[in-house]
Amino acid sequence: MSTDRRSFVRTLTAAGGALGLAGLPKAAFGAPANAAPNPAPRDRTRKIEKAPVSLNILILGGTGFTGPEQVEYAIARGHRVTLFNRNKTRPDFFKGKVAEELVGDLNSDTSALAGKKFDVVLDNPTTFPAWVRNAARQLAGNVKHYIFISTTSTYSDQSIIGLDENSPVHTMPDGLDPYTIDAGDAGKYYGPLKVRAEQEVAKLYPGIHTVIRPCLIVGPLDRTDRFTWWPARIEKGGEVLAPDNPDDPCQFIDSRDLAEFMVRMAEAREFGLYNAIGPAHPMTVGEMLHGVKAVTSAGAQFTWVPWDFLQTQNVRPWRDMSVWQPPYGKTAGYQRRNSAKAIAKGLTFRPLAVTAKETLDWHKTRPAKEQDATLNGEINGIGLKREAEVLAAWHAKQKVGGK
Amino acid sequence: MTRETYSRREFLTGRAATGKAPAPLDILILGGTGFTGPEQVEYATARGHRVTLFNRNKTRPDFFKGRVDQLIGDLNGDVSALAGKKFDVVIDNPTTFPAWVRNAAQQLKGNTKHYMFISTISVYPDNSKPGADETDGLTPLPAGLDPYTTVADDAKKYYGALKTASEQEVAKHYAGIHTIIRPGLIVGPLDRSDRFTYWPARIDRGGEVMAPGRPTDSVQFIDSRDLAEFMIRMAEDRAFGTFNVTGPAAPLTVAEMLGGIKAVTAAGAHFTYVPADFLRANGLQGWRHMPVWINPEGATAGFTRRGISRALAKGLTFRPLAVTAKDTLDWNKTRPEAEQKTLADGAIAGIPASKEAEVLAAWHAKQKVAP
Repeated sequence: MSTDRRSFVRTLTAAGGALGLAGLPKAAFGAPANAAPNPAPRDRTRKIEKAPVSLNILILGGTGFTGPEQVEYAIARGHRVTLFNRNKTRPDFFKGKVAEELVGDLNSDTSALAGKKFDVVLDNPTTFPAWVRNAARQLAGNVKHYIFISTTSTYSDQSIIGLDENSPVHTMPDGLDPYTIDAGDAGKYYGPLKVRAEQEVAKLYPGIHTVIRPCLIVGPLDRTDRFTWWPARIEKGGEVLAPDNPDDPCQFIDSRDLAEFMVRMAEAREFGLYNAIGPAHPMTVGEMLHGVKAVTSAGAQFTWVPWDFLQTQNVRPWRDMSVWQPPYGKTAGYQRRNSAKAIAKGLTFRPLAVTAKETLDWHKTRPAKEQDATLNGEINGIGLKREAEVLAAWHAKQKVGGK
Repeated sequence: MTRETYSRREFLTGRAATGKAPAPLDILILGGTGFTGPEQVEYATARGHRVTLFNRNKTRPDFFKGRVDQLIGDLNGDVSALAGKKFDVVIDNPTTFPAWVRNAAQQLKGNTKHYMFISTISVYPDNSKPGADETDGLTPLPAGLDPYTTVADDAKKYYGALKTASEQEVAKHYAGIHTIIRPGLIVGPLDRSDRFTYWPARIDRGGEVMAPGRPTDSVQFIDSRDLAEFMIRMAEDRAFGTFNVTGPAAPLTVAEMLGGIKAVTAAGAHFTYVPADFLRANGLQGWRHMPVWINPEGATAGFTRRGISRALAKGLTFRPLAVTAKDTLDWNKTRPEAEQKTLADGAIAGIPASKEAEVLAAWHAKQKVAP
């Protein structure tokens, strides 16, 4: 597999995967893997209580997006945190802050884990079943709990409204070996690969594993711009192209809510399979954009353009109109999945304004090149230039149609 | 309650850094313990100005005790505490009657270099024209009404006319050195009128929330802190004239307002918009029962679309809505039980939960019959 594995993984997440999206633009590789750390803003006034028992937690990855939030929260809860990663995504991000930093690669050398014992492993980066197997050579028998971040992209039918953990998942096409699959093909098979990775986890850690299937993860540190596009765009003000209908549903989860839920699941030794999707009650895309607007003073004005017209302009859901998926046809249930099981176990949700404001604040600390890339829509989001073109086309059509 | 009994840390942002003004001013604030007044005091003090309060010490007694000079008196009676005092600026918050302006002027005329008067957007009798500016027609005093009335009931009945006449009284006594501020709906912490607070409090309870009119209907309001800070900066700049002060700068819809408020809660409220006609048929009025909102049609087509370009040009700024909403919500939770009950009953503004449920049920029943 390519040494550029992390860029590739980022590409996968940027693509959303759920629809087996392939053919990603080159620009999806845009975010530099070794960009200078720009830590997430933190509400220092927030009180986090210590957990009753301190756990010895191994976090695979831990310097990407959700990982750092797990680290922060686990430390605040009084746990002992060890990181295992390549020290490449954000090198030395937690240097001196965690108990131990082990360097290695899930794709090859995991020897740094040899002989170590942990109460819990949090597996963030794994896409391939082979990575689970690789790590298990050292970890199986040495951990009491294995928590795996999977994805709602495992679900094969996104038309199901209220889709839950029992809904059907992808299978690997015949003749494709998930252990030897070419890295370049993985975008196409993201869902099936994650399903197989889940199965690998179940096989190697029977009875002591937890599988978390988050939907779109958003918040500070997210380099995919899949949510960040909106705060960044709305902060610029002016006329903003908004997708379809303000009443369309939308779902996402703040990386902090996800991370904190996972650490609490570790503390409670909760096993099983959980969707991790927010918020608890339905949110419309109108409420999302209005909530984002509310943390700015820019006075953005939204123009809602119907999906039929967006299609004629080749505006893509998700990739161009971030977060949004058409609530019709094969994506009818994409933004209406069920997370009641996780909520019953204590999954909570920050107010949207907190997510929006902190994402925006973090975004402003990114290197200028990355901020430009966001507004150019290089990774996700439609980009200012294309947005203006689509709006102009829409207004032109309205004028003709109105007479 | 004193000023310190609720947190003044603003949501998300903390309090914006306040630089010192180039020259400290001697500022007299009439009132100063109500709603906008305290924000003037805080901001003026932070800017390095010397603040004196003149009030009855009744609204929130000893609110700023030990922090500013306080003169006790009554604009409607004894103003002798002002005798012989000199100020750079007077900020007049409480005046409803021209008689109060005249009364204060007995002591202040010739002793202040600038008089700023908080009037109201209610001076305009015609609310039908979107974008109407400060040149719009004002409310005349009704024939036979004594312009120097101090009958409390007159203030209610002739609010717009008496504020207009008060403006004219200000212009007479402080010719060439006065500023008239005409705010729209003032909102934020310390507001006891519940006219905005209803929404954060209601939305924070979650569930189905009755929302007024159409989601795209426009709304306008001004955070008391934005108003207060603008006035202090106008004092520093010695900016005279008449200014509409409401917000925000770019149009805001009722859906954006309610969605923005929802965003500071975790309650997951969802909104059901009930048309103006149906609200009216059920005895519910915009503003009184569905606060902030006024049906933007006909005689009130311009009510929530006042022109504010003059104030914008002078540097009026706006906090993000989320800050206003969250700070108001947090403050509301610190209010005494009696005030909480007033809000829950919809006694001043808004409606009680029972009435909301009743009208929503009626609306859903109607929808079922005639989809």
